[in-house]
Amino acid sequence: MSQPDSNLDLQEAENSLQSLSIAQEGDTPSLTINKQKVDILLKPTGNAPIMKKKKWTVDSDKPIGWIIEFMKKYLKIESQEKLFLYVNQTFAPSPDQTVRNLYDCYSTEGKLVLHYCKTHAWG
Amino acid sequence: MANDREILREVWEGKLPVCFKLDPDEVVELQQPDPFYLMVPRLSYFPLVTDKVRKHFIKYVSSDTQEHEMWLEYSAQPMKWHFPIGVLYDSMVDSDHEALPWVITVHFDKFPETQIYRFSNKETVESYFMACLKEADVLKHRGQIASNMQKKDHNQLWLGLQNDKFDQFWAVNRKLMEVSGENDYFKYIPFRCYIEDGYRQKLVKPVGDDGKRKTLNDLLNELFPDKDNVTAKIHGMIPPLETPLQWMSEHLSYPDNFLHLCIV
Repeated sequence: MSQPDSNLDLQEAENSLQSLSIAQEGDTPSLTINKQKVDILLKPTGNAPIMKKKKWTVDSDKPIGWIIEFMKKYLKIESQEKLFLYVNQTFAPSPDQTVRNLYDCYSTEGKLVLHYCKTHAWG
Repeated sequence: MANDREILREVWEGKLPVCFKLDPDEVVELQQPDPFYLMVPRLSYFPLVTDKVRKHFIKYVSSDTQEHEMWLEYSAQPMKWHFPIGVLYDSMVDSDHEALPWVITVHFDKFPETQIYRFSNKETVESYFMACLKEADVLKHRGQIASNMQKKDHNQLWLGLQNDKFDQFWAVNRKLMEVSGENDYFKYIPFRCYIEDGYRQKLVKPVGDDGKRKTLNDLLNELFPDKDNVTAKIHGMIPPLETPLQWMSEHLSYPDNFLHLCIV
């Protein structure tokens, strides 16, 4: 599914974004499942810049805030600028919501589609 | 729905007595400030009820931290302002240490950036709240009801919560709690199950494929298939495992339309 370089890119971004790894401290496996990866599809909307690579494979325990920081880095958006992510083109998930929860509830055909925008798009 | 209206009111009126104490290390005055006592609604959020707390303590901290965002701590953990107060209490205070008032430490210095988010103003809380409400409606009615509401309805929900006005809030919220068309049930039950530092969410239907209505026990089994005897707490009580999910969703949801279940 993912191109060989995609995880590498993510890994790189992850290393440089350690300080932003909110909600990752609860990583200890007990009630939680082992590390899983899921496919996400990032679609621009409104005035948002286009990402050359749309489909990514990410650890399902990553919080949405981490994805947003990763995208800002990839799109070379200043960190103080806003980037909004939407599920189902309806609601913006909380930054500490995990990819796994969203995938379990809102994925279609094996991927979680997230629309992104630099201004409020829905609601 | 809402034949059991008195239950909605009972849940709405749930309050917790809180004793706020300023971190003694942050006090620059000779005299330590008195603690500040407040009854806070379980269904509200701390940023909506702590203006007075900030005002009470601000003159005791150094002038360069006065402008800082105030944050709260319990049991050496910073409190997540975006969780409803009742959820924080039920998930952070373990039942062996339940003593009221709930003693919370107030800080102005050393905001724990990596553990909690900043909220610059009440609008941040409002947009978070509205996003949760819309998400819940996606689960219940494919988002049809919330998206067809007018801006004034959204405002009424928010103001009802912010000003602790039950009738104002429920006049609009009842539309979100109705089952649509010919259905007797929501499509899925909006819920979050709090474990450890985070929460789990999954698609759970209020009714089984056999047409039998599902219970809290079914939800917990679907979420934790390998664990027996999971106990869930909501609004400070442990509902019976045979409580039907549809009824729970209609009557025990928080104002954001989610059932916030704390695993204890």
